[in-house]
Amino acid sequence: MNSFAGTGTLTRFALRRDRLRLTIWALALTGTTAATVPALDQVFTSEADRAARAALMRTPTGVIFGGPGYGLEDYTLGPMVVNELLMSLLIALAVMNILGAVRHTRAEEETGRAELLRAGVTGRRAAGTAAMVVAVVSNAIIGALTAAVLVGSGLPAADSIAIGAGILLTGLTFAALAAACAQVVSHARTAIGLGMVGLGVIFMIRVIGDIAEQGGSALSWASPMAWVFQTRAYVDLRWWPLLLYVPAVLALTAITSALATRRDLGAGLVPPRAGRATAGRFLSGPLGLHLRLQRGSLITWTVATVALGVAFGSLADQLAVFLEESPEMIQYIGADPTALTDSFFAAMMQYVAMLAGAATILSVLRLRAEESAGRAEVVLATATSRVRWMGGAMLTALLIAVVTMLAGGLSMGAAADAVLEDTSYTGVLTLSALNMVVVPVLFGAVAALCYGLDQRLLPLLWLWFVASILITIFGPILDLPAWSLNISALEHPAFHPAEESVITPLAIMGGAAIVAALGALAAYRRRDLVTG
Amino acid sequence: MSTPPIQMRAVDKSFGSVKALDQLDLEVAEGQITGFLGPNGAGKSTTIRVLLGLLRADAGSATVLGMDPWRDAVEAHRRLAYVPGDVALWPNLTGGEAIDLLNRLRDTVDERRKDELIERFELDPTKKARTYSKGNRQKVALVSALAADVDLLVLDEPTSGLDPLMESVFTECVREARDRGTSVLLSSHILAEVEKLCDTVTIIRRGRAVESGTLADLRQLTRSTVVMEVDGDASPLAHRKGVHGLTQDGERITFQVDHDQWDPVMREVAALGVRSLVSNPPSLEELFMRHYGEDISHRPEGATV
Ligand SMILES: Nc1ncnc2c1ncn2[C@@H]1O[C@H](COP(=O)(O)OP(=O)(O)OP(=O)(O)O)[C@@H](O)[C@H]1O
Ligand SMILES: [Mg+2]
Repeated sequence: MNSFAGTGTLTRFALRRDRLRLTIWALALTGTTAATVPALDQVFTSEADRAARAALMRTPTGVIFGGPGYGLEDYTLGPMVVNELLMSLLIALAVMNILGAVRHTRAEEETGRAELLRAGVTGRRAAGTAAMVVAVVSNAIIGALTAAVLVGSGLPAADSIAIGAGILLTGLTFAALAAACAQVVSHARTAIGLGMVGLGVIFMIRVIGDIAEQGGSALSWASPMAWVFQTRAYVDLRWWPLLLYVPAVLALTAITSALATRRDLGAGLVPPRAGRATAGRFLSGPLGLHLRLQRGSLITWTVATVALGVAFGSLADQLAVFLEESPEMIQYIGADPTALTDSFFAAMMQYVAMLAGAATILSVLRLRAEESAGRAEVVLATATSRVRWMGGAMLTALLIAVVTMLAGGLSMGAAADAVLEDTSYTGVLTLSALNMVVVPVLFGAVAALCYGLDQRLLPLLWLWFVASILITIFGPILDLPAWSLNISALEHPAFHPAEESVITPLAIMGGAAIVAALGALAAYRRRDLVTG
Repeated sequence: MSTPPIQMRAVDKSFGSVKALDQLDLEVAEGQITGFLGPNGAGKSTTIRVLLGLLRADAGSATVLGMDPWRDAVEAHRRLAYVPGDVALWPNLTGGEAIDLLNRLRDTVDERRKDELIERFELDPTKKARTYSKGNRQKVALVSALAADVDLLVLDEPTSGLDPLMESVFTECVREARDRGTSVLLSSHILAEVEKLCDTVTIIRRGRAVESGTLADLRQLTRSTVVMEVDGDASPLAHRKGVHGLTQDGERITFQVDHDQWDPVMREVAALGVRSLVSNPPSLEELFMRHYGEDISHRPEGATV
C-alpha cells in the first residue's frame, strides 16, 4: 500500500475536528494584534515617550520578550510592532503548533482511533502528512490575517507580508519539531513536554544571542525564532533569512518520516521495559497513585522552572553592565540601579508563576483524563470515596505549584548571586517566589472547581488563565485601565522584590483558593461520573 | 440476609433526552449468579454504574448489599468487586502493580488466591499495562476482582476479550466464587456463557426488564421445536391452536409448539402414527431473538447480540 494513501481523508477529518479550535486561536492571535497596534500608536505618542520605551527595550528584560532590537533608534509604529508584539505571538503560535501536531499524530494513536483508520486505507505516513497539511493551513490563515491587520493599520505592505510569512514558517517549524517528538516517545503528554522543551531551548538561544549584541550575535542565528526578526521588517527589509526555515522544516519532516516508517503503530522508539510484579508500599492509596502518575511531570516542570530561573537570574550582571554603559538610561527608568534589577526579577517571577500556573492546572486536569479513560471508574468502584480520589489529585497539584514556584525563585536567586558575586538574592528571590505561590494555587483550585462542577466549564478557566497572562504582559503597553488589570491573578500579589510584600491580597487569594477547593470536592461528590 | 444483594425497583436514568433506564427492576439473589442480557445500548452498563454509585438514579429505589449505592458507596464497595467491560489501566504501571493497587483500595484480598489466579489466567504481571492486549487488561481486572474476599461480584461483559481457553478458566473461577457464597451479577453478550453459568437471567431492552427468572421458567414462556416423521397426513395440524410455523420437507415435519398446548397436540400427533420424534427446548438464543427480533434483525450474527 502507498504509505501516503488516505492523507486527503485524514486531512479533511482533522480540519473538521479542529475548526472551532483553529478559529479560536486565529481570533485570539490576530485579535491581539489588531488591538495592540493602534494602542501602541496611542500610548507612545510623544518623541520622548518613544525614546524612553526604546531605551527600555534595550535592557535584557526588553530583549527577552522584544527581540534583537532593530529600529530602536527611530522607534516608530513598525519597529514597535516587531519589538513589542511579535515575540509573544511567536510563542503562542509555537504552543499552538506543538499541541496540534501531537494531537493529530501521537494522541490519535494513543486513543486507538488511529488503529481504526490505519486498518482502513491509510498509509503509514498519512497521519503525519495530514498533520503537516493542517499545520500549513492553520499557520497560513494566521499569517495572512496578521499581515492583513498590519497592512490595514497603515504599515508598509512588503514588510507586513514578511512578518506574515515569518509567522507561517515559524509555526511550521514547531509543528515539524513536535511531529518528530511524537515519533520518538510513545505518549502524547511526553511528546508535548519534549516539544515544549524544544521551544524553551530555541527561545533561550535567541535570548542569550540577542542580549549579547544588539541586532543579534552569531548564536542568535542558531534559533529559528530569530530568523523572522532578522528580516529587519519595517527598518531595512531583507527576505533571505526566511529561506532558512525551508531546510529546517524539510530536515525535521524527513526525520519524522524516517522514524514513522520504521516503528510499529502505538510504539515509541524507546522500548518499554519489564517492571515489578507487585506494587511497592508507596502505591497504596489515591494520593500515592496520583504522585506516582505525576512523578514525571513534577520533574519535568521543575526542570523547566529551574531552567527559566537560571536563565533569567544569570542575566543580572548584564543589567549592571548595561546601566554602566548607558547612564542616560537612568533618566528614563529611575536613578536607582538596584530598583531596575529588582523590578526585572519581580517581572521574571511573574513568568515563573505563569509556568507554575500551567503546571498546576494541567496537574488538576489529569483527573479529567483519568475519568474519560475510564480509570476513575475503576478506582471509584473500590472503597475509595470521591473526596479521597479528588483530594489526592489536588494535593499533588499543590505540591507541583509549590515546588515549581520555589525551584524557579531559588534557582533565579542562586544564578543572580553567582554572576553578581553576591549572596542576598537567593533568599530574596525565594521570598518573591513564596509571595507568588498563591497564584498557581488559585489557578489550580479554580480548575478543580470547574472540573468538579461540570467539565464543560473548563474553557472558562483557560480563558481566565490566558487573559491573566495577556493582561500582565501587554497591560503596561496597552495602558489598560486599573480594573482590567485586576482580572489577572498575577497582578494581585505585591511586585516583590521591587515592592514590599503585602499580606492582604495573599490572604484573600489563599482564602479564595480554599473555598474553591472545598467547593470542588462538594460538587464532585454530587455529579455523575462522565462515562463512555 | 433479608434484602437480596442487589435490588432495583422502577429505576429511571436519563442522559439529556436519551432515556437509558426506564422503570427498571432487577434482583440478584444471595449466592446466585444472575445473567444480565440485552443488546447494545440496552442499558446494562448504565444499570451497573447506578449500582456502583458512579451515576445517580433519577427515580426509583436501589440497594446494594442492603445499602444505598449513592450515599453509602464506599461502605458498599468494601464488600464488592467490579470488572468493567472495557478495562482501562494506567499505562505506566505494570499489571501486577495495578492488581495490588486495586486490592489495597478495596482492602480485602486473599494473597494466595491472587497468585493462583495470576497463574491460572497465564498473566505476566511484570509487563507495563501499555503493552497489554485488551484480553490481558481484562485479566488484570478479573484477577484483582476474583482475588478479593467480597460478597458480590459485578461483572460487565468480563469475557469480551478472552480467548476460549481463558473463558473456560473464567467460568470455573466464577463457579468457585459462587461456591464460596459470593453473589454475582454477570452482564454478557455470550449466550452460551450465560446458559452455562447463570442460575437466573434478566433480559433488558431499551432500559426495561422484559423477562426475568430461571432459565427453566423462561423456557416455559416460549415454544419448543418438534421434528418428526409420521405415517398420516400432518397438514391439518398447521391450523391447530398452539402450533406454529409448520413446514414439511419430504417425510420430515417441523413445527413449534406452545408449552401449554403440549398435551392436546401430542394426542393428535399420536393418532397420525409416529415413526420418529425429536423435541428441543428453546435455546437462550431463541428466547433472545424472540425479544429482540426487531432490534437485531438487520444484523447477521445471531449468537452474540
Ligand atoms: N454518558 C452518557 N451520555 C449519554 N448517553 C449515554 C451515556 N451513557 C450511556 N448512554 C446511552 O444510554 C443507553 C444505554 O447505554 P449502556 O452503555 O448502558 O448500554 P449497554 O447495554 O451497556 O450496551 P453495550 O452492550 O453496548 O455495552 C445508550 O443509548 C447510550 O447511548
Ligand atoms: Mg455496556
